[in-house]
Amino acid sequence: MNRRHRPFVAEILTAIGLLVAPFVLRWLGVPPNTINPILIFGLLGIGFDLLFGFTGLLSFGQSAFFGSGGMVAAYVLTRTSMDNTLVALLVAAVASGVIGYLVGLVALRRTGIYFAMITVAIAEVFFFAEFNPLAHWTGGENGLPGVPTPNLRLGFTTIEFTTNEQMYWFFGACYFIGIVLALRIVRSPVGLILRAIRDNPLRASALGHNIHGYKLAVFIVAAIYTGIAGGLLGMMQGFMPPDAFKFETSGEIVMQTAIGGAGTLFGPLLGAAVWIYLSDLFKITLNLGAMWKLILGIVFVLLVMFLRRGIAGGLVDLWGLAAARLLPPRPARSGVEDAAAPPPAVLLPRARRGSGVGGPADEAPRTGTILRASDLSKRYGGIIANRNIDFEVDYGEIRGIIGPNGAGKSTFFKMLTCEVAPSSGTITFEGNDITGRDVSDVCQLGLTKSYQINQLFERLTVRQNLEIAALGVLRGTFRLDLLGSMSGVEGLDGHVAGTAALVNLTPRLDTAVSELAYGEKRRLEIGLALATAPSLLLLDEPLAGMSPGERVDTVALLKSIAKGRTMIIIDHDMDSLFELVNRVTVLQEGSILVEGTPDEIRADRRVQEAYLGGIEGESA
Amino acid sequence: MQGEDERKGMELAVEHINTSHPLMKELAPGVDNGLLGKKLEILVADSAANPNQAVQAEQSFINQNNVMMMTGSTSSSVAVALNKLADREKIIYLPGISGSNDTTGKDCARYGFRQGFFGEMAANAIGPTLVKNFGENRKAAYMTPDYTYGHTVTESVSTYLRDHAGWEVVTNQVSPLGTQDFSQYLTNIANSGADFLINVNWGRDAVLSTQQAAQFGIIPAMTLVVPYQIPFLAPEAGPELTEGVFACTEFWWTLEDEYPLVKQFVEAFQEKYGYRPEWGAENGYVAFAHWARMITEANSFYPADVIAQYEKGETIPSLMGDVFYRPEDHQCVRPVCIVRGKARSEMQNDEDFWEVVEVLSGPDVIQPVDYLGCELGEI
Amino acid sequence: MLSWGNFISQMFNGLVSGALLALIASGLTIIYGTLGVLNLAHGAMFMLGGYGGWIAYTYTGSYTVAVAAGTIFVLLVGVAMERGIIRHFYNRPPEDQLLVTFGLGIVFVEGVRLVFGSLIKMTPPPEIFRGITNLGFMVYPTYRIAALVIVVVALGALYLILYRTRIGMIVRAGIEDSTMVGSLGINVFKVFMLVFGIGAAAAGFAGIVNAPIVSIAPDVGDRYLVLTFVVVIIGGVGSFPGAVLGGLIAGQLLSLTSMIDPAYSEIVLFVAMTLVLMFRPRGLLGTAGRE
Repeated sequence: MNRRHRPFVAEILTAIGLLVAPFVLRWLGVPPNTINPILIFGLLGIGFDLLFGFTGLLSFGQSAFFGSGGMVAAYVLTRTSMDNTLVALLVAAVASGVIGYLVGLVALRRTGIYFAMITVAIAEVFFFAEFNPLAHWTGGENGLPGVPTPNLRLGFTTIEFTTNEQMYWFFGACYFIGIVLALRIVRSPVGLILRAIRDNPLRASALGHNIHGYKLAVFIVAAIYTGIAGGLLGMMQGFMPPDAFKFETSGEIVMQTAIGGAGTLFGPLLGAAVWIYLSDLFKITLNLGAMWKLILGIVFVLLVMFLRRGIAGGLVDLWGLAAARLLPPRPARSGVEDAAAPPPAVLLPRARRGSGVGGPADEAPRTGTILRASDLSKRYGGIIANRNIDFEVDYGEIRGIIGPNGAGKSTFFKMLTCEVAPSSGTITFEGNDITGRDVSDVCQLGLTKSYQINQLFERLTVRQNLEIAALGVLRGTFRLDLLGSMSGVEGLDGHVAGTAALVNLTPRLDTAVSELAYGEKRRLEIGLALATAPSLLLLDEPLAGMSPGERVDTVALLKSIAKGRTMIIIDHDMDSLFELVNRVTVLQEGSILVEGTPDEIRADRRVQEAYLGGIEGESA
Repeated sequence: MQGEDERKGMELAVEHINTSHPLMKELAPGVDNGLLGKKLEILVADSAANPNQAVQAEQSFINQNNVMMMTGSTSSSVAVALNKLADREKIIYLPGISGSNDTTGKDCARYGFRQGFFGEMAANAIGPTLVKNFGENRKAAYMTPDYTYGHTVTESVSTYLRDHAGWEVVTNQVSPLGTQDFSQYLTNIANSGADFLINVNWGRDAVLSTQQAAQFGIIPAMTLVVPYQIPFLAPEAGPELTEGVFACTEFWWTLEDEYPLVKQFVEAFQEKYGYRPEWGAENGYVAFAHWARMITEANSFYPADVIAQYEKGETIPSLMGDVFYRPEDHQCVRPVCIVRGKARSEMQNDEDFWEVVEVLSGPDVIQPVDYLGCELGEI
Repeated sequence: MLSWGNFISQMFNGLVSGALLALIASGLTIIYGTLGVLNLAHGAMFMLGGYGGWIAYTYTGSYTVAVAAGTIFVLLVGVAMERGIIRHFYNRPPEDQLLVTFGLGIVFVEGVRLVFGSLIKMTPPPEIFRGITNLGFMVYPTYRIAALVIVVVALGALYLILYRTRIGMIVRAGIEDSTMVGSLGINVFKVFMLVFGIGAAAAGFAGIVNAPIVSIAPDVGDRYLVLTFVVVIIGGVGSFPGAVLGGLIAGQLLSLTSMIDPAYSEIVLFVAMTLVLMFRPRGLLGTAGRE
């Protein structure tokens, strides 16, 4: 398998850039006190980009960490006997990490816009606390003046960075370490899961990842980056300003990242550079101090409207455009063509969990009941979606569920996968009571679902999609190998290749999901569920929206994967479904109408009545 | 607004230094169409009374323009931050308006020299006036802005009144800088049973808090005192509110009747800017003149030489008589005055808001050298 | 300052500021509930109302004209904003809406600063509302009492719009189920435009009514924006009754804490918000509609 990253190109280019920058900038006549704040904001921007650009969490409350980290470091350096700046930064990192953890606990209870709103409000608490109540420690409105410049205690000697030129090297080194670590994080399994959360949190969770845990982790990482940058700010200015706590600071961080380009790690640095350049240009060179923020606001609005991915994103797009001109386009493949090829026989690591951890289950197929739902009901307000359902599936069985629209099939499925908690009743899976468990836990136990409407990670490639699913199996629900590498995950490549082969997507592995044909997306949807190596696979209308040709291929695909698996399939296409399954359960008005073999169901009068004029139209 | 006035005073000083204006010659005789053969140029940035912006702007100036001296502030938190920056960057700093005791007290700086008056001087000056006019054992409510200026002024004034006349602090309402709605603070004051409202707020906060105190009927029910006179409070809030109010300041233009140099200054300023200067302008002008004098006397721009010249503590002229800088804390020992607000009917012209009650000499009102704990840093 | 008189007076302060917050928050919450847009320029709408009214006042000298002009001005700004910019963001990620409204907020504030400067502007209260009123149990500035009445009337009007008109029904339906509105065969864009305008106008109205109390400056809305978020979080996003309840709670918490120490008033408010988030994440009267 080819790894997608040329090793250390970004790191080496960053190092060269940082080494050359002061000379180039001096030649351009840019003073060093202009680049130092760019580095500091670039550094905290890295953390923010991990949070926003990679995980999709837009926080308007970074000022809390910027201020807290800065104040802690400044306090250590000005009010205690400690004068080792590295130790102060370490203390600041720990403090901001702890604060990040506490804030994250509250803020991450909600998502999206609500999350953004909560972060604003929480950051304001810090702003107000910093003033009167904590003024004894923070200096209140005065801030903490007299912060020393950075130094490096090496034991045998101490390097002092007193001038702006010297401080540049200190800040540059901090930035470099920051970017190297961030690149590791981005390339780690956690990094991929973060992007999964950004693109589709629901599916990431359904694939067995504890997304709350990962979100909290990245929130803390961002807080630490921001806190350290706050510490550096005090050292640069010789003064830790209370302004760091202001809402404006949070806004500045957001704007710089959006201007530079979110999801690029280097975007915030670019954004900070543009910001500080414009500020200096208007304030000092043109003497239009009052105007610069207005201009900046207008530029920002235009950028958000027309250049969504910021400057860095725009450059990447330009590069892509140029590359497309120079290189001949790759021939596109049609989905049907792929599907026609016989599926290669690849063994998947299967059902390794269940009650007995490990292999024996694989060798001897288990028998008995795998899933049992007892007296399951679901009410939404006054509406009853499911009523007193008793339902059992055995190991190795392929079960079909049919029912007219509104029969409660999807709700029933959602209860089985624990996406929706039942109002009453219990669900037992492989002997475990899973009622009320989390969807990611249930996936970890080996029960998962492919969705009626594709739930894919649209901005990633097919390979990355499958990797996200496979990581759930291989790493468990939560593991904080932030600095680990993908190649370090044992069996990942084989697992992905096996799944891709199974759903006929091997040639499309490095294609972006957004470029796939519908049939291919549908197969990937099933592939995602398969890649979690489920012992019980639920398929919610796998044939929905497909052309007759695609249906034939997909039925063939389902048949091939059905061997040795336990599956429950909902579909409206009765002919296809009856071809696949051993038994059929018919739902009507939220309850089980009848259960039997396909032939029994076909012959059942009640089923015919229930479907009179219902399903015929749809299955045609 | 206060900053605008201060800046104009400084700009006028620069102009007078560069043209050897007779008034400047009185204060700094060594000025000769510039300083040591060089013309002065002034660079201006808006700090919005915000220490962070001030520090950033000064750092740009230091790096990009190689400035020789930093100045300005209408906020003591700016002054304190720039004091520290001055010591670190080894550049002379002249705080402008800075009322905090700490600027030449616990946060004093080797490179910083304050010409203007501050909380402790104001307290020692206005205290006797208040006691004389209102007697002993009164109840006072304080409004304090939440930064070094506010805290130190309130501390100095309340301590003086308590120790010398048994005045009681019934409440001290501390509000953050930039508060717009003072209703909660004022409600506490209205229900505190105080006889006096001692308003230490500055700038916009002072105007808004005073106006709202009138809305709530606290003025005139309580007697307003402004221990540290806020330039332009009277025109903004209206003489109805400042009538009869006692305040301490370091300069008021009607002193021109007593001091010829004040008259020269007021005339020159009014001619250039179209209004009579407030004490911020006077402060900026005199601080610049003193600095020019030190440079010409030391015959050097080198900061260590200039500091040495200041630290000689020589008696030098100001607009209001002789003054000197204390070598121990770099504070100028200068006269202050007590003013009382005129009623609208008493005003001779539309800038005649205050009547000077008394001028007090610097040594009489300044605290002992070691009282505020200044320890100067290294050169 | 713990005394019965102070308690009553502070309660009244809380009522005035709480009603104001309730009105601003209602504007924010109906926009959010209906359109799914969190308008970070809502504080700027408050500010623009104040300036619009102030300009009208300087020309006419009439308080009534000032209030009407300020409100209509912000209504138009809101409509223009929705048509010109927000509309293009309905199909984009919610984060983009936050970014663009945040940017617009800056443009409004800095634009006003450039034209009118940073110094405060006063709009005096009308002649009949000047001075102090003795309510028997306490004395209180007359205009603040008048402002309370005016804001309560405005909240009542908003209630009537939301609960007694067709557009109000659509708005409430949209808050319950955002996909439903589209399927009702209603010209959604027209409704959205109007809702955005009304929501903005609620803030603008509050801005001009507030102007005689504390004066206006370009940054006058900043503080209110954050407080409005807190109100909405406490009351429940998308809920008009929630906004009113949240506003009243916030107002009381701010003033009653002030009795003991004003420095802690905001902190107590935010602690209350955190508690609500922990124990009732959707807010006191929130629905499950919007995330």
